[in-house]
Formats: sequence, structure tokens, C-alpha cells
Amino acid sequence: MAVYKRNYSAYAGAVTPVWTRVLVLARYAFEEAWSSKITVGLFIFCLLPCIVSLVVIYLADNPIARALIGGRGQQMLAIDAKFFLKVLQGQAWLALVMASWIAPRLITGDLADNALPILLSHPISRFGYVFGKFMALFTSLSLMTWLPCLLLFVYQGYSSPQPWAMSNLQIAMGLLAGSVIWISFLSILGLALSSWVKWRVVATGVIFAAVFVPAGVGAIVSAVLRTRWGLLLNFPVMMSNLWQQLLGAPPINERLVVPTMPIVVMLLLACLVCVGMLNKRIRAREVVRG
Amino acid sequence: MGVIDLIGVEVRLANRTVLDNLTGELHGQAIGLLGPNGAGKSTLINTLLGFHLPSKGKARVFGLDTHQDRAQIRGGIGFMPENDSFIGNMSGVRFVRYMAELAGLPSGVALERAHEALFYVGLGEVRYRKVNTYSLGMKQLVKLAQALAHGPKLLILDEPTNGLDPVARQRMIQLIKDIRKEGSIRLLISSHLLRDIDETCDEVLILKDGRIASLCNIEEERRSNRSFMELETVGATERFSVSIRGLGCECATFPGGRIKLVIPDHIEVRDLYVIASEQGVQIRRMNQRRDSLEDIFLRAMDNDEKRTANGRL
Repeated sequence: MAVYKRNYSAYAGAVTPVWTRVLVLARYAFEEAWSSKITVGLFIFCLLPCIVSLVVIYLADNPIARALIGGRGQQMLAIDAKFFLKVLQGQAWLALVMASWIAPRLITGDLADNALPILLSHPISRFGYVFGKFMALFTSLSLMTWLPCLLLFVYQGYSSPQPWAMSNLQIAMGLLAGSVIWISFLSILGLALSSWVKWRVVATGVIFAAVFVPAGVGAIVSAVLRTRWGLLLNFPVMMSNLWQQLLGAPPINERLVVPTMPIVVMLLLACLVCVGMLNKRIRAREVVRG
Repeated sequence: MGVIDLIGVEVRLANRTVLDNLTGELHGQAIGLLGPNGAGKSTLINTLLGFHLPSKGKARVFGLDTHQDRAQIRGGIGFMPENDSFIGNMSGVRFVRYMAELAGLPSGVALERAHEALFYVGLGEVRYRKVNTYSLGMKQLVKLAQALAHGPKLLILDEPTNGLDPVARQRMIQLIKDIRKEGSIRLLISSHLLRDIDETCDEVLILKDGRIASLCNIEEERRSNRSFMELETVGATERFSVSIRGLGCECATFPGGRIKLVIPDHIEVRDLYVIASEQGVQIRRMNQRRDSLEDIFLRAMDNDEKRTANGRL
């Protein structure tokens, strides 16, 4: 085939390994997600809290600044697990906003244009398709969760007058693990819900609803049955508990403490439901029953 | 080993048998898949692509099992689906490049082949426009371009002329003929339009109610029926007919110089002209009746109905 000849010729060159096709999907999905100016704007907005945290760390490690702020400010400027928990919480909820914007862009378009038959007729499995999209979303969310959080940790380790990083390694591990758990959950939830809704705006709303509506239901269950177990429907509370334990920070509210194992089980259950939803929806052909 | 081997393939979807005991070997350069709506053409294509798992039997493409080796098969297949199927938000060239990369072409080569494929199908001038702004005919062509870009061994076209106006249809048919002529690609063309298959294919698989109604080589079928001929002559008709019989033709003469004859395979039409010229006979009219695909199709439908009726009796 040549443009000027306008005739067909077979391709006889080398082909890429099959496993790299997932990376092709991820690359195109990543480019699609970031082709919107709103995504870039949101990303910049999401980094603002990190910049504020950076300034706080700078002030906390600067003797002149500490002297100027005085005694009460010393407590405010304590850089410890509690401080990083707050940073992680802030970034995590901004990641929810970002996921609810990006996830529908990755899947709803393909479904609306009925692109799956053509995509899946290539040497890529349904799992590969979902995994490629997952990678794109996970990478996008990583840029605003564990990456900036760990950079703040490194900066604190660098600018602290006393040796700090090695004695607080649990914070770094907690930041990484807590972020990875949350953004993995968000990615799979976002993709699953987007695969069932053809309109992007509606999909964005549904993702928010999936996080906050069960929390409301959980609060009602807790109030009516006078139990704490309703908190297991409350993802914000569950994740705060998990992050607090991973970072080794003191509990924020004693009444909202939930054991770790039920939290893990609930997250796994939610992920399984999402996988089921994706399995049902991501198909090259829909079998019409009846 | 054929291009496609079907060994007792049965596919059940939603508790309904859609393909029932399909057996046959398809060898043609361009294979037509014919049948009325709901005959199972698209289901067979989906089975060949590994989208459906046969509940019984096996299907093979180039000797590879459609379920176990589906990744390998898909790598060598270009598929143009029946319905709209594209990524509307992408430009034509980006879409074709994306599909070529998924098929295994390195990024740079994929871009080069995407441009070439789009020029080849006639979308060169609009290749930077978003696919969702294309007309229906352009969308069909961009689907063909993405199926061709990676240089497949088998090109599966599901209703390629669906929704096209006569000019666009003719263009699509011409493209298919060109691809067939080039020779490196085998084609499997599904259609319910007999004319499309007639113009492009050399072998046809006719499906009805999920079963094979007929599997035949169109050229051979035509050849077996090409011998029937009607002539209108002026001159020494009787002597001419005797000479023709001498060649081995069966023939009957009628008043007004009309001759009906059946020509054996080894006799060419040219031989008749030679004899007519030698004997000073003018052949004023020659009507060579060929068995059209429509005849083959109707016969297959008829046979199938008779078979079903006998089965019921």
C-alpha cells in the first residue's frame, strides 16, 4: 500500500508482542482522558492542597518561621502521621472528583459508539480491555494521590533538622498503600458504573452517588438498629479508618472506629460486584434473550 | 485444510440453537455467506472471531481453533462489522492507527499504514475529520480501512454494502474486487444481497435457519449450466446442426433457423463461430443461459424446505 499508488499490499513486517496490546489501549485511553482542558484544570486544582502542604512543611522546618508564629502555631505546624493523614484524605476525595470525570470518558464513549465489536475483534481479551482502561485511570489518579504525598514525605525528610524519614517510614508506607487501595477501588468502581451508563454527565453523578448514597443508608441503619455496623456502608468513614491505621495516626473520632477486617471484606465485596458488572457489560456481542 | 473448517458446529444462545451442526470446508479466495435475515450469518462470523463458544463441534480458521487460538486468529483477521462500530471522537487516521496498533503493528508503521489504507479506500482527503462527522458511506469505508490497515490474511466483511447508495455500493464492490484480485487476502463476505455476493465471490455458503442449505463453488455451478444455448441463424441451418453434432453437442433445430444446443465442457463458443464461418451460416443471435446465483440460492432454499418436509413426514 502506498499513498501515491493507491493500491493494496500486504504487511510483512514485525508485529509487537501480544502482551503489549494492553499498553496500547492504556496509552490511547490516557491520551483521551487528558485531551480535555477540564481534566488539566481539575488536575491543577487538585494539586493546590499539596502546594499548601508544601508551604506548611517549609514553615514547620524553618526556625525563623516557627519563632515568628509562636507557641500555638507550633502545634499547628507539627508534621506527623496526623498531618499526612489530612493530606491523604484531601487528595483522596479530590481523586474521587477526578475519577468521576475521567472514568466515563474512557468507557461510555466506546459503548455509545458501539466500538466494542471492532476493538475486541483484535487480539485483545475483555480482561485486557478493562485492564488497559484501568491502567489509564489508575495512572491518572496516581499523579494526584500517592505521588505528590510521597514527594511531600521526601521533602519533609530532606528539610527536617532532625533525622525524620527513617523513624517515620510507616507514614510513607501508609501513604502508598492507602492511596493504592483507594484509587484501585475508585478505578474499578468508575469503570463498572460508566459501563452501564451511556451519558457521561449521568455517569459522573452515578459515581458520586455510589459513594455517598450507601453512606446515607448506612447512617439510617446505624440509627435505627443502634449499631455501628451501618458504617460498613459508609466508604468515607471506612477509608478514613483504614488510612488512620495504615499511617499509625490517632483515631479522629472514637465513635466512628470500625475494625479493619470487615472494612477489607466490604471493599473486596464491592470490587467483586464491580467486576461482575463489567463482565456483564463488556462484551463484543449482546445476546438478546427471548 | 480449508480457510475455514466447520466440524459439526452448534452454537446455542439464550437457550436457542442458532447454528445447528454446520459441517464443511471453505476454500475459496472470496467466500460468500448468504442467507435470509436471522439465518445465522453474523453468529457464524462471531463464532469464527471467538466471540461465541460452540456448544458442540469445532470451527477452525487456517487450521486454528476459534476458541483456543482466538488471539492468534484475531491477529490475522480484519473485521468490518455490520453496524456502526467506531470511536466517533477520534479522527479517521487516529482511529485506523489505533486499530492497527491493537493488531500488532509498531506505532510508526501503524500511522503510515493508516494513511495508506485511508487513501486506498478513498478517504484520504477527510482523514483528519472526526469519525462521527462522516456520512454513512464514509463510516463503512473507514471500517474497511481499519480492517485492512494491518494486512490481515482473512478479511471478514459483514454486510459491507449496508445502507450505501448505488454509487457508494459500486465503489465498495470495486474495492472488494481489487482486494480479491491482489490475492494475499482471503475474503469472507456476509450479505443477504445476492448481487453483492454474485459480483465478488467464487464460493458461497448458504445458511437457512442456522443450517447449511448449500455450500458450492459459484464458478463450478455456473460452468455446469453454461452449456445450454439458443442460436438464431440464417443460412444452411440443417448442415450447421449436423456439424455441431459432430463436435459432440446435443442439439435440436426449430423453424426460423433456431437451434437449441447443449455444449460439452471442452467445446468453446468460438468453435461454433468457426463452423458457422466455414459453412456460410450467419449467427444472428446467441443466448447463453447461465445459472445465476439467484437460481442457486432459490434451489438451495427449495431443497432445504423439501428436506424439512420429508423429515417431518
